[in-house]
Amino acid sequence: MILSLHLLALGLYAAAWVLQLREFRRGRESGHGGVRITAGGFAAHAAALGLFTLTYRSLPLIGLGPASSSLALVMVLFVLAASIHADLRPAGLFLLPPVLLLVGQAVLVGVGPTAGQLAFRGPWFVLHVTAAFLGYAGLAAASAAAIMYVFQFRALKRKEFGSVFRFFPPLDSLDRLNKVGLAVGFPALTVGLLAGWSWTLTFGLGLALEDAQTILGMVTWVAYLIAIAARLRPGPHGERAAAISAAAFVVTLAAFLALRLLAGEPDFFL
Amino acid sequence: MGEREVDGAAMTITLVGANHTTAPIEFRERVHVDVESVGEVVSRLVGRAGIEECVILSTCNRTELYLHVSDARSGARAALEALTARAGLAPSDAEAFVYRHHGYETVVHLFRVAASLDSLVLGEAEILGQIGDAYEAGLQMPEGVGPVLHRLFQSGLAVGGAVRSETKLGRGAASIPSAAVRLAIKVFGSLEGRTAVVLGAGDMGETTLRCLLVEGASDVLVANRTPERAAETVARVGGRAVSMDEFWRSLSSADVLVTSTAATSPVITSTDLAAARGATASPLVVLDIALPRDVEPAVGELPAVFLYNIDDLQKVVGATQEARAAEVSSAEEVIADHARRFWRWYRAREAAPVIRGLRAHAEAIRREEVERLLAGLDGLGDGDRRRIEASMRRMLNKLLHPSTVAVRRAALDPGGLGFLEGLRNALDLPPLPPDEAGNR
Repeated sequence: MILSLHLLALGLYAAAWVLQLREFRRGRESGHGGVRITAGGFAAHAAALGLFTLTYRSLPLIGLGPASSSLALVMVLFVLAASIHADLRPAGLFLLPPVLLLVGQAVLVGVGPTAGQLAFRGPWFVLHVTAAFLGYAGLAAASAAAIMYVFQFRALKRKEFGSVFRFFPPLDSLDRLNKVGLAVGFPALTVGLLAGWSWTLTFGLGLALEDAQTILGMVTWVAYLIAIAARLRPGPHGERAAAISAAAFVVTLAAFLALRLLAGEPDFFL
Repeated sequence: MGEREVDGAAMTITLVGANHTTAPIEFRERVHVDVESVGEVVSRLVGRAGIEECVILSTCNRTELYLHVSDARSGARAALEALTARAGLAPSDAEAFVYRHHGYETVVHLFRVAASLDSLVLGEAEILGQIGDAYEAGLQMPEGVGPVLHRLFQSGLAVGGAVRSETKLGRGAASIPSAAVRLAIKVFGSLEGRTAVVLGAGDMGETTLRCLLVEGASDVLVANRTPERAAETVARVGGRAVSMDEFWRSLSSADVLVTSTAATSPVITSTDLAAARGATASPLVVLDIALPRDVEPAVGELPAVFLYNIDDLQKVVGATQEARAAEVSSAEEVIADHARRFWRWYRAREAAPVIRGLRAHAEAIRREEVERLLAGLDGLGDGDRRRIEASMRRMLNKLLHPSTVAVRRAALDPGGLGFLEGLRNALDLPPLPPDEAGNR
């Protein structure tokens, strides 16, 4: 049942993304269809993770499958929250592909309790993972807005009134989404990292700077700190700050993929 | 143009008109019926040539007379005569420019007009208000709008609304001022709370000023080389008139700058604007709708400044028209659906005279038989006679009830039209109007 609900959610997210892609290619403004389908996918996804919690008496935060699925759910929450503002419905065009990858990965590796054991458990762990997921999802939303900002800015400057001009949101709306994403994501990620380090220091395990998760957390934190600094710099910041936000996402994604390949543990998210 | 042979006996809906695709502006100006003259034309037509109801839709792009009439050809001829007589023309002079539609075609035509598929600018919203005004004007005259044109125009207004809500035909910017505002909205999301400055108080500047105010720009400043002209524009439209000195100072906090002066060389240079903006970080949208251009092209190179001239705005309008053209088939589906529904209602009305004829025929037989019966029964008192009358009437009502229901159903069911037509022939009533496919 958990797998079936995941497959249903995956199908609905894929359908929503294809619909948005079609609207974009036709240069039409984004309608309600994509949001409704995404909301349907979210309901199935949330039900699947709820069922996981009830079945295994454990939150789906440990293990590659459950953790990928949980991170994807938080990201979809951002897609839906952004869609409350009609202007920002197209955000799904950039936020749904990572969701599809995460849910697809969860389906492939299986959404069940992991065989591996973690020393780090309990409320500190829940706070660490939940805050980190909220942080990553918020920063992903900020970056999606930033990527669309760069495209829309260039279309407006170059006077290209095609699909990007018509489908992408106004610059001001994208700037606000970027700001909200950073405002939620960066502090949440900071809390997540601090929770992890506090636990490891408390139990005398040291900062474990060579640990893949620590490296990813630090890379992400520094990349987005630069993005925030670019926003706070005086003078016209729009396109430059957006480009740095977008670059921060690319750096984070590259770091995750590299660490996953080089140092990832098969049973865990990283 | 477009006249179709129509039987004279049944009531039908007919239209005579000329629009921007069939007639030059000189002809349209001459046949235009202004608001003050509508009553006079309607009064002259209703009651003539079988015309029972009349609504006149007259805009700068079209003049159309919608009639509910018993004889479509005579009614259309009378309407054309009324139009041409006012214009000092002979009906034959107008033949090349006018069109006529009858029955279902008229319904579809009005619905296409309401959906703005027949407009000069596809998808424009103004026509719906003009149809509403024409309908209201008809309502003001006792002889103008009756039950049929009331229903037709109400349906037309509903179709216009449905097409706008169910398709994207009305989306995007279809004129230079609206394209200008759309570009500003693509930067700012909304103009509410924004500051706009308009330089030049010409017609285009004034129209753009209206659009900015409609979109909620909170502070709109108008500057002109002749300050009196700016003051006049502001008094007419809204906003705040400022001197040229104030204009330059206001640029430091402006979000939108619209220029539409008659200057022959650029009045806004890159150097001047950069100096006026100072360290302002927020974006500025510069909309140069003047010809020759008011703004030096290098202004577009300034950071956070978005510069558009009349050609750029024309491109936005062109793109909108293309996007709207793609919505036409969806709009046609909405129109066809509403037109079929209206026509079914209109045909269902035809059941009423058949039922009346049926009842009158049966009542005549009842009365004759009761009289014959009572004539042979001399000893009956008044009470007995009344009881017999009442009994016969009840029996007639019971016998006629299934037939009445069958007639009502037949009027709504395309397959039942043969039955209805046979009954009409038997009762010597005029024939039915054709269905939407032209079949009887």
